[in-house]
Amino acid sequence: MDKYKDYLVANVLIDGKIITYRLLSRELKVHVNLAKQMLFDFHDKQNAKKPGTVHATYLITGTKRPGPSQHSNGIHSQDGEDSIMQSSPYMSSMPEQEEVTDVAEEVVPVTSIILCRQEELEETKAQLEEMTSIHVYSLEPGPLQNMNLISLCNQEIVKKFAHQDPMDNWKAYGTIHNPHVKRRATRRPPPIASEATTAPKSIAQTSSTVQPKEKDDVTAQTARGSQLAVAAKKTDAKATFKREKSDIFKSFAKANAKPKAKEAEKSKEYTPAIESAEQSAHEDEPMKDVSEDEYEEDYTPEVEISKEKNDAARKARAEREEKLRKMMDDDDDDDDDNDDVPMDDAPIAEEPKDAPIERQPQKAAESASVTVSGGRRRGKRRVTKKKTVRDEEGYLVTKEEAVWESFSEDEPEPKKLKTVAPTISTAKGKKGAKQGQGQGNIMSFFSKK
Amino acid sequence: MAVKNGNFLIHEENFITDFPEQTRAFSSYNPLDTFELPKGVDKHYQQQYADMYFLRLAQLKAAVEQKAQDAWENFELAGEKATRVERVLDVRQGELCWVVGTIFMEMTMKPNILDDISKEHWIAAPPVREKYISPNGKDEMMLEDESGRLRVTGDHVASNAFVTGCIIAALGTETADGAFEIIATQHADFPRQPQRWERDEEALVLAGEKVKRKRPKAEKIAIVSGLEIGADDEDTINRDILLEWLEGAAAGGAEQARASRITRLIIAGDSVANSSPIPSREEFAEAKKIQKRYGYDSEAYDAIPADLLDQFLCDLLPSIPITILPGASDPASVAIPQQPIHPAMFPKCRESTKPPDQPHDHLYAFDSVTNPWQGDVDGWRLLGTGGQTVTDVQKYIEHESSLDIMEAMLRWRCIAPTAPDTLWCYPFQDDDPLLVRDCPHVYFAGNQPKAGTKVVAGPAGQRVTLIAVPKFRDSGKVVLLDMETLGVDFIQIAPQKIRS
Repeated sequence: MDKYKDYLVANVLIDGKIITYRLLSRELKVHVNLAKQMLFDFHDKQNAKKPGTVHATYLITGTKRPGPSQHSNGIHSQDGEDSIMQSSPYMSSMPEQEEVTDVAEEVVPVTSIILCRQEELEETKAQLEEMTSIHVYSLEPGPLQNMNLISLCNQEIVKKFAHQDPMDNWKAYGTIHNPHVKRRATRRPPPIASEATTAPKSIAQTSSTVQPKEKDDVTAQTARGSQLAVAAKKTDAKATFKREKSDIFKSFAKANAKPKAKEAEKSKEYTPAIESAEQSAHEDEPMKDVSEDEYEEDYTPEVEISKEKNDAARKARAEREEKLRKMMDDDDDDDDDNDDVPMDDAPIAEEPKDAPIERQPQKAAESASVTVSGGRRRGKRRVTKKKTVRDEEGYLVTKEEAVWESFSEDEPEPKKLKTVAPTISTAKGKKGAKQGQGQGNIMSFFSKK
Repeated sequence: MAVKNGNFLIHEENFITDFPEQTRAFSSYNPLDTFELPKGVDKHYQQQYADMYFLRLAQLKAAVEQKAQDAWENFELAGEKATRVERVLDVRQGELCWVVGTIFMEMTMKPNILDDISKEHWIAAPPVREKYISPNGKDEMMLEDESGRLRVTGDHVASNAFVTGCIIAALGTETADGAFEIIATQHADFPRQPQRWERDEEALVLAGEKVKRKRPKAEKIAIVSGLEIGADDEDTINRDILLEWLEGAAAGGAEQARASRITRLIIAGDSVANSSPIPSREEFAEAKKIQKRYGYDSEAYDAIPADLLDQFLCDLLPSIPITILPGASDPASVAIPQQPIHPAMFPKCRESTKPPDQPHDHLYAFDSVTNPWQGDVDGWRLLGTGGQTVTDVQKYIEHESSLDIMEAMLRWRCIAPTAPDTLWCYPFQDDDPLLVRDCPHVYFAGNQPKAGTKVVAGPAGQRVTLIAVPKFRDSGKVVLLDMETLGVDFIQIAPQKIRS
C-alpha cells in the first residue's frame, strides 16, 4: 500500500517527472480510482510537510453555469477563454450569435471535462453549476506551462505496457470491460523490440547452461521462469544504476536527481526469460490478413474461435511476451549480465567461434558448400537482393532476386541480422546500434547533439 | 458544492479500494455496404460524369413530379392554369407551366477544370475557396435536363438556396429575355423511412427465427470527428482525456458509469491531419520548395500521426467498439464515396478487425467503413458523412447553417448534390448510391464549424435527427446520442486556460 509513496517520491520529487493517475495505476497495478486517491494523499501530505514541493492538476467534470461564460463554449473554448470573455461582448467573426437566434435548434446539454492546474482550481469550480466528479489528474514538481506535457505519461504507458493484454488486466485497472466483442487470436506486437525472433539457438545455449536439465521440458518453462525471477530478485540489491539519460523532466526538477527509483524499476524487470525467444521463433506465423492486399479470397483461416482457445492463447501470449520484454530490457544494458548472472561467463566465452554460423539469417541466406580451412570458413550462400530495372514502358521495376554470394568467416555479418543474443562478445558493439533502431525516443530529441 | 462518489480527494485513512466492475453496454450493430465500390479491376474510371446527372434525374423525376402534381394541380395565376411541360426546351414564352430538371449553378468563382488545365499542368488540387459566390452577383442559375438548359431567375431563386445537382420542379413563365422566372419550386422530400428494427427483423424472419418481441433498452453511442492527429498545434492532452474518459478511467462515480453506457464510438472523418494522398495546392507548393531527397524522407511522409491514430484506436478497442469513417484529410481514397481506410493502416487493431473471410460478422470491435456510411445501430438507420458534402454545399450559398443544409439534402434526396461538379466523386454508371433511398433516423455530418442538432419532420411523419458534429480539435466536443430517445448531448473536453 505504501509503495506509492516511494514511487512518487522517487519519480516526482527526485526525478522531477510528471506522473498521472493512469501511469501510477499501471506502475503499481492498482485500480485507477485508487491511484487518483494516492495522488491526492501524496500531494496533500507532501505539501503539508514542505509547501510548494508538489504541484497538481485536477480533472473536474460537471455542467457549466449558463450565461455569458457558456457562450464562449463553442468554437473558442479550446482557448479556455471562458473566464476572460465573461464581461466583454463577443466580437468574433464566427457566427456565434446564431446559437441564440436559431429557434429550431435544440439547446443541448453540455457536460464539461476540464483539466486545470491547482492555481485555477477555485476559479474553475466557480464556473460550474454542478460538479459531478473531481480528482487529481497528475502530479509534477512545479506548475506546468503547457498541459500537453502530461501526454508524455500516456506515451510512456504505451511504450512500457504495450505488451500487456488488455483483456487480462481490465479488472485491475478498472477499465470498462466489454464482454460482447470477438477478438482474433493474433500475436500482440512485442513492446519495443520487434527484432526478437532471430538467433534463438545461441540463446538456447546460454539457457541450457543455466538450467541444463529442463531444456526441452516445455511444461517446466514457466516454473523455470519464476525460479529465475527469484534468483534475479536476490541480485537486485546489488545492481547499480547505469542508465542515466538526458531527460526532459530534468529541466523541471529542482534538486539533483538521484536515480534510485529507476534502478528499482529496472531490476524489477530483469529476468532472463530465455526460452521465450525460442518459443516465439516457432510461433511467429505469418499474419494472414487483409493488410497484405485488398481482400484476398483464397485465404481461409480457422473459423471457430472458441472462448477457451482464445483465453489460452492469450495467456500463452502474455506470458511469452512478458518474458520477451524482460529479456529485451535486460539486453540493453549488458553490465547487468556481469553483475547478476555470474555463471554465464564461462560458457559464453567459448562461444563466439560458433555463434556467427548459427546466427546467419534464416530467411534470407542459406549456406551451401561450406569449407573450413585453418579455422576459417568459406563458402557460398544464397542472399536475396533487390534489383531495379527499367522495363520497356519506362517504369522502374524492383525485383527481389536470390543470388549466390561467397563469403568467408571474417566478413562482417549481414546487417539485417539483428541478433539479440545476450553474449558478451556482441553486446558491446550492439549498444550503439540499439539506439538507432526501434521507436525514436522523444528524449533524444532534446539531448545535445 | 457536493460531489457524490465522484470525489477522489481522499486521504489515505479513508481510501476507497472497492470499486464496482464496469461492464460496457451492448448495442446491435448492422452496417450496410451501400457505398462500397467494386474492388480491383471492376472499378472503372472511364465513364462520363454526364451519366450521373442523367441517372439522378431519371430516378428522382417521378417523385418530384408527383409532389409538383399534388401542389400545383389546380394552381391558377390570373385565370391561367399551370400546365406540365415534359422537357425544359418545350417551355413556351408567356405560358404558365412547371417543369422538372437539374439545377446547375454557373458561378465565376467556381473551380473550373478547363481553367486549371490552361494555367498549369493539373497535379495538385484546385485552391480551396471559402465560397464560390461571386461578390458582384453575376452568378447564374440554370435548370437543365437531357434536352437542354434554361436560365432561371426570380425572387424565389434569390431567397432560396439551390446548389448544382439538386433535382427540383419549377413553376413559372418564360419572360421576354428568354429567362424562366420561377415563382415556386418543389422537391422530392423525404423518402420512406424504415421502421425501427425493420432490417434486423427481416433478417430474422428470413432465417426462419422468431422475431424478438422484447429488446433490451438501448444505451448511447458517441460520435466524434476531426481528431486531426498530427496537426501543428494539436492538444494531445485532450485526446488523452477522451481516451481515458471513454475507457472509464477518467472522472469518477456517475461519470464513469455513464461512460460504460456508451456502446460504440463513431469517428466521422479527419482523424489524421494532412494525410490525404492528394496534397492541396498549398502543400504541393510547400513540397516543391524542399529539395528532393532520395530514399525515406520524413518530411515528405510522416508516419507518426497514422501511428498515433492506430495506438489511440488500439487502446480503446478492447473496451469500446469503433466505427471509423474516412474524411477529407485521411489516408483513404479522395473521391466520394471514400472507401474504408485500409486495415494496413491499423496494424495494432488487427485483433479487433474482422477477418476478410467473415465480412458479415459484426461482433468484431473495429469497423473501418466508407464515407458516407449508413447502417443500423440499435435498429435505427444511421446515415453519416465525414462532412465534405456539407462543406462543399456551404460554398454555394451565403449563410446557411450545416443543419439547414443537411435538411435540404435529405429533402432533395441526394446527400452529395454538388458531386461531381465541385466534389470529387466516383463516376457511377448504373446506380447512384448517393441518392437517399431510405430515410435515415439519424443523419450526422462530421467536421462542421459548429456543433448542433435538430429534429426535422417529413411529409409522411418521418422524423430525422440531424447532428452537426464539430471538429474535436477545435471544440473538444463529443456528441452523445441516446439510442432510445434519439436525444443528443455533448461532452466537452477542454483544459482550463493557464494564467501566466
